Amino acid sequence: MRNRLLWSALALAVALALPLVAPHAEYLLDVAFLVLLYGAMATGWNVLGGFAGQVSFGHAAFLGIGAYTAALLVAQGWPIWATALPAGALAALYSLIIGWPSFRLRGPYFSIATIGIGEATRLVALNWTSLTGGASGLTLSSAPSPVVQYYAALALCCAAVGAAAWIQSSRFGFALAAIRSDTDAAETLGVDTTVAKTQALAISAFILGVSGCVYAMHYLFISPDSVFGFSTSISLVVMPIVGGLGTVLGPLLGAAIFTVLREQLEANFQNLDLLVFGVILCAIVLFEPGGLLGLTNGLRRRWLKRS
Amino acid sequence: MAEALLTARGLTRRFGGLVAVRDVDLDVREGEILGLIGPNGAGKSTLFKLIAGILRPTSGTVTFAGRALAGERTAAVCRAGIASTHQIVRPFRNLSVRDNVLIGAYFGRRPRPPHERARQIADEMLATCGLSERAQSPASTLTLAGLKRLEIARALATEPKLLLLDEVLAGLNPTETDATLDLVRGINARGTTIVMVEHNLRAVRGLCSRLVVLVEGRALVEGSPDGVLADPRVVEAYLGTAHA
Repeated sequence: MRNRLLWSALALAVALALPLVAPHAEYLLDVAFLVLLYGAMATGWNVLGGFAGQVSFGHAAFLGIGAYTAALLVAQGWPIWATALPAGALAALYSLIIGWPSFRLRGPYFSIATIGIGEATRLVALNWTSLTGGASGLTLSSAPSPVVQYYAALALCCAAVGAAAWIQSSRFGFALAAIRSDTDAAETLGVDTTVAKTQALAISAFILGVSGCVYAMHYLFISPDSVFGFSTSISLVVMPIVGGLGTVLGPLLGAAIFTVLREQLEANFQNLDLLVFGVILCAIVLFEPGGLLGLTNGLRRRWLKRS
Repeated sequence: MAEALLTARGLTRRFGGLVAVRDVDLDVREGEILGLIGPNGAGKSTLFKLIAGILRPTSGTVTFAGRALAGERTAAVCRAGIASTHQIVRPFRNLSVRDNVLIGAYFGRRPRPPHERARQIADEMLATCGLSERAQSPASTLTLAGLKRLEIARALATEPKLLLLDEVLAGLNPTETDATLDLVRGINARGTTIVMVEHNLRAVRGLCSRLVVLVEGRALVEGSPDGVLADPRVVEAYLGTAHA
């Protein structure tokens, strides 16, 4: 436990110092920003998909609502940082509305419903032209400096991982673990499974909503196909599975690998990234369902046993 | 006569054209071990599920300690003080044996006990059910007998007034059966009322203070074990008219 605290403090110190140590390494800072942003998004998805075992293929909806909320409020003259909370809150509110009907479904049926919800939300954003600008999207006029963006993403990611760590060690986390394992058995032991799942979804959606604000701040242009896109939802599923489903740090690890690999692939072999991610996903599901964290833990145990 | 802890009146459940439980009246008295027996398909498990809130009755009422329960959600029924075990064991396989029991201790009643108290309850129940040595093992590593005891330990951790045991002896060898019978007796001796569905008539005869026989969804006979098992209608239901 003390070890883990020490490592967290060390990692945080390195992350805080990165812009000072490398003030002109713009590319490095950009990649680090993306790792943190996607890490926060994956961590948010994992609260519902990993801890509670409710795999959603529609989480782009919450990212999109957060991003659009931020962009629309900025257009009203709000400073971008002030839009973070409304972005998260609106995403969470939307999650409550869609959670109520969709949690009547179990397992794969829930997952299929989330595909429909994600796509329906994208289509509404695409066609509600008076509000969202339709396919031409929304543009923000000015961005904070890359260093400010980086620290915003760092704060977001720390908050998300901190929330995940708290959930995992809490009574609420216990309820989610029971639901993930056997929802009916959890219910017979007094766990209000629908309430717990809805809470997990709302926390998850809130993190995605705030991430949407940071996303808008960075890209300055958002459109239904980018933030609400199905491929965004898919990458939110892929990152936690690659890193370690239902763990605290797995999603961040998965996001780091996902982001760095995608940057490299997009630069060198365009359109190959989907193939590579598909292969990695298959390999992990087949050979190491615990993800990379599961793999490293297994190797460490083996090594400890030998020595 | 002791006061009724649980009262069911006119309890009926249909599945389409099939009436699984038909107009059943049931009184469970405080402190007793009531056996619920009957041939396969008689509606015993369905009756259990109606009481535990897993199924909603088509009609009829369930009153528990003065409170109307029919139609309440499973979790609410559990917190009202009725815990049940599953006929087919349903452990949380990826959690440790102790964490399985902790779930019951954490969520099984209101107000929720503080962490320390919940852990204490869980450890007590593990000890009661002879699972202390396996507390840290994943639940998936237990034998069937162990999993059946885990079902009981989890249910007990919710500190129920009434415990519903659905065929906890099925699939156990004679040694394991005797150990489980002792366990059930011990739980009852500490003040928990028990209703058990059981096919093992020898065990039922030795354990239960009263039996209710369910046949084709109806409560056919009720009374002391010896009287009920000798009743010609019961013998007929189990063995056919030739033996009655």
